[in-house]
Amino acid sequence: MYDIYFANFRKRVPLTYEEEALIKSYLSVKKVRKRQFLLQEYDVCRSVIFVEHGLLRSFSVDANGSEHIAQFAAEGWYISDLFSFLTEEPATFNIEALENSELVTISKLAHEELLEKCPKYEIFSRILLTDAYVALQQRMNANISKSLDERYATFVANYPDITQRIPQHMIASYMGTTPETLSRIRRRMASEK
Amino acid sequence: MNATQTIAIIGASGNMGGAIAKSLVKGNYNLLLQASQNEKVTGLVSELVAINPKASVEAIDCSFEASWEADIIILAVPYTAEKEIAEKIKEVANQKIVISISNPLNETFDGLLTTELSAAEELQLLLPNAKVIKAFNTTFQANLTTPVIKGEMVDAFVAGNDEAAIETVSDLVKTAGFTPIVAGDLTVSRTLEQMQLLLIKLTIKNNYNWHAGWRILLDN
Ligand SMILES: NC(=O)c1ccc[n+]([C@@H]2O[C@H](COP(=O)([O-])OP(=O)(O)OC[C@H]3O[C@@H](n4cnc5c(N)ncnc54)[C@H](OP(=O)(O)O)[C@@H]3O)[C@@H](O)[C@H]2O)c1
Repeated sequence: MYDIYFANFRKRVPLTYEEEALIKSYLSVKKVRKRQFLLQEYDVCRSVIFVEHGLLRSFSVDANGSEHIAQFAAEGWYISDLFSFLTEEPATFNIEALENSELVTISKLAHEELLEKCPKYEIFSRILLTDAYVALQQRMNANISKSLDERYATFVANYPDITQRIPQHMIASYMGTTPETLSRIRRRMASEK
Repeated sequence: MNATQTIAIIGASGNMGGAIAKSLVKGNYNLLLQASQNEKVTGLVSELVAINPKASVEAIDCSFEASWEADIIILAVPYTAEKEIAEKIKEVANQKIVISISNPLNETFDGLLTTELSAAEELQLLLPNAKVIKAFNTTFQANLTTPVIKGEMVDAFVAGNDEAAIETVSDLVKTAGFTPIVAGDLTVSRTLEQMQLLLIKLTIKNNYNWHAGWRILLDN
C-alpha cells in the first residue's frame, strides 16, 4: 500500500522506522477506478497525490471544450495542482484516473503539520518541489524552442513504460498537437531507426 | 462542482445502513454498500437505482476493500461490532472521515454499555489517525425516510474534532434531509448518546411509534 511511496522517499532521504511511522500516520491510501476524478477544475486542490499503482492524468479544458493534458503520473510519480494546493485558489486542472489505481495522498493540513514535525519530510518536500520546478522549466523550454520530433523523443524517454498505456490522442494533447501530426512523427521516427 | 466522493456504508444490510443509503442516493456520491454477503443488499441496490437511475451504487462484501476506496466511511453496525471492524479497516481509514452512528445500548434498552467515554471516543481511540465524527445517532431509522414531522424538519446533531470533517458531514446530513446542528467536539458524543437513550426510553414508555425526533425550537 505504501511500498513504492517509501522506497521513493528513501531513495532521496533515508528514514528511521520511527520517522516512517510518523509520516505514515499523516498519509491516506485510496483506491480509485478508471475514469474517476480526484480533482475538478474550480475546486480547491487539497491534496498531493502519489501513484502507488496505476495511471492518472491532469488536464485543463479550454473555452471550446478541448482538453489539454498537463501531466501523466504512473507508479512512483506525484501529481497535483500545485498552484491551487499552495495558494488555495480554485484549481486550473482536473485530475482523472486513466486506469484503476492505488494512491497515497497527503492533505494540505497533514503536509503542513509534517513540515513542522519531521525535518526529513521537509527536506524531501524541498527536493520534490525543486524537481517539479526543473521538470516544468524543461517542459516549458521544449514547448517554445524544440521541434515536435524532439519533444516526442523526450516524452518516450521520460515515460518509457507508459507510452504503450496511453491512447495516442492523449499523448498528442500532452504535446499540444493533433493525433494526425503525432502519427506522422511516429512513422517517420520508426522508419529512421 | 466537487469531485464525487465515495462513501462506504459498513453494515448496509441493516436498518440504518439501508435507510442512510436511501437518503444519500440523491446526492453526488458513489455509494459502496458493504454487507457480509452481497446477496443481503441486492434488493437495496435495486431500490436505490429505482430512486436515482444515475446513481453509482455497488455491493461489496469486504469492509477493508470498501474503506480503501472510500473518502467517507459510515459504520452502520451495532456498537459491539465496532472494535472488530475498526481493527480490520484501521490501515485504510487513515486520515479519512469515519462516521459513528451507534448508540451503545444494553440488551434491555434502559442503559448504556459505555462507562466514561462515548462510543464515538472509543472508536477514535481504535482509529487514532481517522477523523471520527458522531452523526445520525439521534435520528431514528424512520426519520431518515421522513425527516419532516408535522412540518418540522428534524435536527441532526454532529460532533467531532476536525473542522473540515464536520463541515463535510454536515453537508451529508443536509443531503439526507435534516438540519445539521454542530454540537461540539467529540466528547459531546457522550451527551448525544445519552439523549438518544432518553428518547428511546420515552418512546417505549409513551408509545411514540419510533418516529420521534429532536428539534430545537427557535423564534426567528
Ligand atoms: N435503528 C435505529 O433507529 C437507529 C437509530 C440511530 C442509531 N442506530 C445505530 O445504528 C447502528 C445499526 O443499527 P440498526 O438498527 O441498523 O441494526 P441492524 O439492523 O441490526 O443492522 C446492523 C448491521 O451490522 C452488520 N453487522 C453486525 N455485526 C457485524 C460485524 N461483527 N461485522 C460487520 N458487520 C456487522 C450487520 O450486517 P451483516 O449481517 O451483513 O453482517 C447488520 O446489517 C447501531 O449502532 C445503532 O445503535 C440505530
